[in-house]
Amino acid sequence: MIGNIISSPVFIKRISVAFAALMLLAAVLAVAASVGETAIPVGTVINTIANHLWDAGYPVDAIDAGIIWNYRLSRAIVAASCGAALAVSGAVLQALLRNSLADPYLLGISAGASTGAVSIVILGLGAGMLSLSLGAFIGAVAAFAFVTLLALQAGRGTGAIILAGIAGSQMFNALTSFIVTKSASAEQARGIMFWLLGNLSGVRWPDVWLALPVALVGLVVCLWHARALDAFTFGRESAASLGVPVRRVYAILIAAAAMMTAVMVSIVGSIGFVGLVIPHAARFFVGTRHGLLLPLSALIGALFLVCADVISRVIVPGQVLPIGVITALVGAPAFALILCHGRILR
Amino acid sequence: MKGRKVIELNKKVLAVGVFAAGLASFAQYASATEYPLTLENCGRTLTFDQAPNRVVSLGQSSTELLYLLGLADRVVGTAVWLGPVQEQFRDVNATIPRLADNDPSFESVVGQKPDMVATQFQWHIGPNGKVGTIDQFAELSIPVYTAPADCVGKDNTTGGDGTRIDAFSMDQIYQGIADLSKIFDVEERGADLIADFKAREQAAREKVAAVNGKGISALFWFSSAEIDVDPFVAGQKGAPAYVMSILGVENVIDSDDEWPTAGWETIVRTNPDIIVIGKMDRRRFPADDWELKMQFLKSDPVTRQMNAVKSGNIVVMDAQSMNPTMRTIDGIETLAKAIEAFEATQ
Repeated sequence: MIGNIISSPVFIKRISVAFAALMLLAAVLAVAASVGETAIPVGTVINTIANHLWDAGYPVDAIDAGIIWNYRLSRAIVAASCGAALAVSGAVLQALLRNSLADPYLLGISAGASTGAVSIVILGLGAGMLSLSLGAFIGAVAAFAFVTLLALQAGRGTGAIILAGIAGSQMFNALTSFIVTKSASAEQARGIMFWLLGNLSGVRWPDVWLALPVALVGLVVCLWHARALDAFTFGRESAASLGVPVRRVYAILIAAAAMMTAVMVSIVGSIGFVGLVIPHAARFFVGTRHGLLLPLSALIGALFLVCADVISRVIVPGQVLPIGVITALVGAPAFALILCHGRILR
Repeated sequence: MKGRKVIELNKKVLAVGVFAAGLASFAQYASATEYPLTLENCGRTLTFDQAPNRVVSLGQSSTELLYLLGLADRVVGTAVWLGPVQEQFRDVNATIPRLADNDPSFESVVGQKPDMVATQFQWHIGPNGKVGTIDQFAELSIPVYTAPADCVGKDNTTGGDGTRIDAFSMDQIYQGIADLSKIFDVEERGADLIADFKAREQAAREKVAAVNGKGISALFWFSSAEIDVDPFVAGQKGAPAYVMSILGVENVIDSDDEWPTAGWETIVRTNPDIIVIGKMDRRRFPADDWELKMQFLKSDPVTRQMNAVKSGNIVVMDAQSMNPTMRTIDGIETLAKAIEAFEATQ
């Protein structure tokens, strides 16, 4: 029986597609590790990685090796994890809320993360005991809880959660502005600004061990519910009539999306448009079935964010642009195209 | 003409370090101020009918300068404090109302009924001042004196910390001292102060010349938004650039911004001989703590490969010496001492 499945043409095709996708991702990661403020040949990158993974013992300049392994590779893997997690969150929320405009930020997660981070830096909450990332995470979860409670009070409909998300985002953005306005110096405003727009320059291996598992577990949890998500696209009633335990699945998936976003935002800051745009791009290729849509969204999201990070590092010589600027500059026109395509507001 | 020759001669006298004699003769040429006094400041003409009696001072450096000129009894309010007041002024400072630690409101400033406002940074009072605009103060007939260090050869309309068109030099500090001593009719004290600073500058140069400190490179790290993200480092035109240039030290950061953010991989490649890290009482960013900066440099797998870190040539410097203030002179002395130590280890 199992032998039949493994040798079936569909299975072989899927395995080879998945393998090709992973190879593509690995290649892009290697390229990302070789591109930066200073040029390092791809050969040095491969030697360095081989040295670390298999103790290959190639002679590599210690500083080159340090930059590739400790700065760029960890950064590229975190970028890929974030891109995948944000895109999957977006796809899940769009299905659950039956709204093509839904994305993780709609739930106020990014706004709350910003408020949390700013509170730590400018108000000095936690007296130096809390890091910026932890502040962002607490803020994100708090904002999400606030929006969810508001939506439940307002009647639980899909419209309610979107409106609650708008209210929550506005409120937390106002809080952030309030705190930033009270801030002391141009330098602080700049430090915060850089963070609010997303910044991967501080990413190191410990961030990988947080981002990668969260992205993988999030993807697996959502994939596990792919059939239910397909059912949800026709509405909660239809999903219920198809035998989906609506409330439980709804809660699990919303929580998965919220946690993924909160963790990613706390590591790299607010990166917009990935959750909104990438699922639409993926749908363009494979349609609306979540068994294919979710992995493809993850792949495109990962590739997109790794590339956006590379662009942010090299587009202005000697200076790193916030990655959020790049994703928005690419994402906004792409989103406009989707809007004009017409099918978005069904 | 004759007076000028004497001053020229005084410079030579100072150059050989016998500055006490120079002071006495220099001071003879400082005459009493004649009112009404008109002087140019930051592209505007200020007129004083008499020496101001009630001054509100925004900016620690401006405030401490007024104290140093013996004018504490005229100061009726202060704001914008970056650290504790200089020890010698602790008692007198305690008697003067502190309107705000950071930027005060317009009304709290004019509420002190000042007949002059002195400001260290143009972004507090200027064309787009956060506390108020020049016009707002002009409507109440309050002249605003801005420290030349923040406006001469500097474009403050670019946002953030502004952009220096011309490099900072201590002449801007001397200009500020000369202007204030003239406005308050204490020119002799001003001249003494300037002569003292110039002699200290000269002594620092001589110290470096004595150890043949040539061809040394340095990096000035002020702070960072988070400990391992791209740090705020000194560019080519601010106070640290001046400190480095008069001591013949090369700044490894090639940027005209006052405090650009530079990537660690770029910094590591430049491999500076000396790294100067900022010490401040502020604790808004984790990297405000000089010990954390030191710890990062020594523990990060890439930064610890820099020569300055390996050989322990990391210098702790008061952050206010890294900004264009009269404390820049302390920075010159600190770096001169560091060069001496560096040469001793070679």
